[in-house]
Amino acid sequence: MGDALTLMAPIAIFWAGGIGVAAIDGWRGMTARGALVVHLAGFGALALLAARVLTSGPVGMIAGNWPAGVGIRFRADPLGIAFALLSSLVLIVAVAYEAIGGTPTRAFPALSLFLAAGLTGLFLTADAFNFYVFFELSMISAYVLTAFGGQPRQLRAAVIFAVVNLLGSVIFLLGIVALYHVTGSLDMTDIAQRMAFAEQNPAILSGTLLFVAFGVKLGLFPFHFWLPAVYTGVRPSIAAILSGALTNIGTYGLLRFGGEMLPRELSLAAPALALLGTASILYGAVQAIGRAAPDEVVAYSAIGQVGYVMIALAIGGAAGYGAAILFAIINALNKTLLFLAIDLRGAFVGPAVAIGALSVAGAPPAAGFFGKAALFRAGLTVGDGAERAALVALIAAGGALSLLYMFQAFGRRYLEPRAEERPASGRGRRRLVAVVALSLLVFGCWPEPLIALSERAAAVLPGRLP
Amino acid sequence: MTLVLSLAVAVLFGSGSYLLLQRDLVRVVGGVVLISSAATLFVMSASLTKGTAPILPLPNGQPVSDPLVQAMALTAIVITFGVSALLLALVYRVYVSHLSLDLEDLAAAEEQAEAVDEAMGGRLERAPMTAEERDEWAMR
Repeated sequence: MGDALTLMAPIAIFWAGGIGVAAIDGWRGMTARGALVVHLAGFGALALLAARVLTSGPVGMIAGNWPAGVGIRFRADPLGIAFALLSSLVLIVAVAYEAIGGTPTRAFPALSLFLAAGLTGLFLTADAFNFYVFFELSMISAYVLTAFGGQPRQLRAAVIFAVVNLLGSVIFLLGIVALYHVTGSLDMTDIAQRMAFAEQNPAILSGTLLFVAFGVKLGLFPFHFWLPAVYTGVRPSIAAILSGALTNIGTYGLLRFGGEMLPRELSLAAPALALLGTASILYGAVQAIGRAAPDEVVAYSAIGQVGYVMIALAIGGAAGYGAAILFAIINALNKTLLFLAIDLRGAFVGPAVAIGALSVAGAPPAAGFFGKAALFRAGLTVGDGAERAALVALIAAGGALSLLYMFQAFGRRYLEPRAEERPASGRGRRRLVAVVALSLLVFGCWPEPLIALSERAAAVLPGRLP
Repeated sequence: MTLVLSLAVAVLFGSGSYLLLQRDLVRVVGGVVLISSAATLFVMSASLTKGTAPILPLPNGQPVSDPLVQAMALTAIVITFGVSALLLALVYRVYVSHLSLDLEDLAAAEEQAEAVDEAMGGRLERAPMTAEERDEWAMR
């Protein structure tokens, strides 16, 4: 019973809080602050769960006390809990940003909580179809959130985002149903066991469907077409939520469905993943260099950074998965910082953006350095010398390009005299951004907790196949 | 039966994709709905067993249909219904603010906004809404 309670508490807190906040008038500053408190409480519950999972092993339960194999199973393991904590943290920062500025629309506080409930449920479920349900729950909140602000540009972004991601969801549903038809089960552990004996062709088909669905979510080249218009159209806090919290669905989904359930197919697809990852890195970097507006630069850089996750997945094994998780965590924090900071003016903001830029480029002392370092290390574990050299060259070139475009944008924004034309932003928002930047610096100097977490999370997945 | 089902899924998906590529936003929503229906039908066709309705008491010795896919299809239908309503609401808001549902017009507006962005060196930080603006926004 204790297990069930700790496991369901975060989801229940977000869900009940969302319903409670939805009933209150969202225009008042109080509502946004109340939502922030609920977010913090949910994060606390997640942290308790994480402490339990990391000290005494995975926690599991079956909904409604059904026998195993019949009921819907929930389970918290280090992989799920790492992404749940990260998403919750990003949402806290974004909601704090809106609560401080005092410009929430009526629906924002409640929707952010429903989004948190959906994301937490998705990371803690052990049932493939339940994953789809929570996935839709968070996506529906996200569709409404993209329209947040209600200006023509945001409405256009919301329509693009909703139509493209709905298609992604349908493809994901098809993939799950194909998995069910092949294995006769929806439980992730059962699917993983039975998939090892399944025929290869249907398995490859469902794997491809799932990969396309998560690729759309990640904005991976060539599924990136929706991303720039949406990320530049929406408000900064929403851009931070989309790139910092929702992208995690894609990374987590690829690790869970690819790494755990379809490891054979994932290693079969490794060359394709590496190719798409390389294309993503180069495309994102080249496009970002050619853009003048800083938010567009960051949006294209998001496409490029996803490529590194693909490279890490293609490497596979404990080192590759660990690097993918570590990189995804740091990348989510980078993007949150940059999307929030890029529109602000005044003291602290310039240095904060500089730290974010360094982190994206993977230069010390920012945390991004360790993301790239883990990738390098994983790259050195692959087969022959030529592959190794190509990987290391790609990562180095990508890093150099991102240093170039980030500081091009930085210089244009903060070093030219025009930067002084606009008045400084509110002090609260600037402080918030400074805190996020500072935490990136702290993780850059003391990365052990993050590295340990990502290694524990990667240990959940089966190792590299012979 | 398998052939009929796969043909139905294919036709639905095909017409949905065709509508999705149209310039009119309402047609795009129609396309999304059709593609979702194709997915629901696909869920039904993935059933593992075929037979009589899986309602207790079960008939002796006769095969029963797979109840799990029916539950999944039902869930998918409900989700599709909610999302379609949401999409239509969004499209209506787009119509109110642009007075057009043509994607070409929307693309033109997007380009204009981007040009302003480039000229200003990034999107403007929007001033907080005043109380009157909020009321006006809420009235819409």
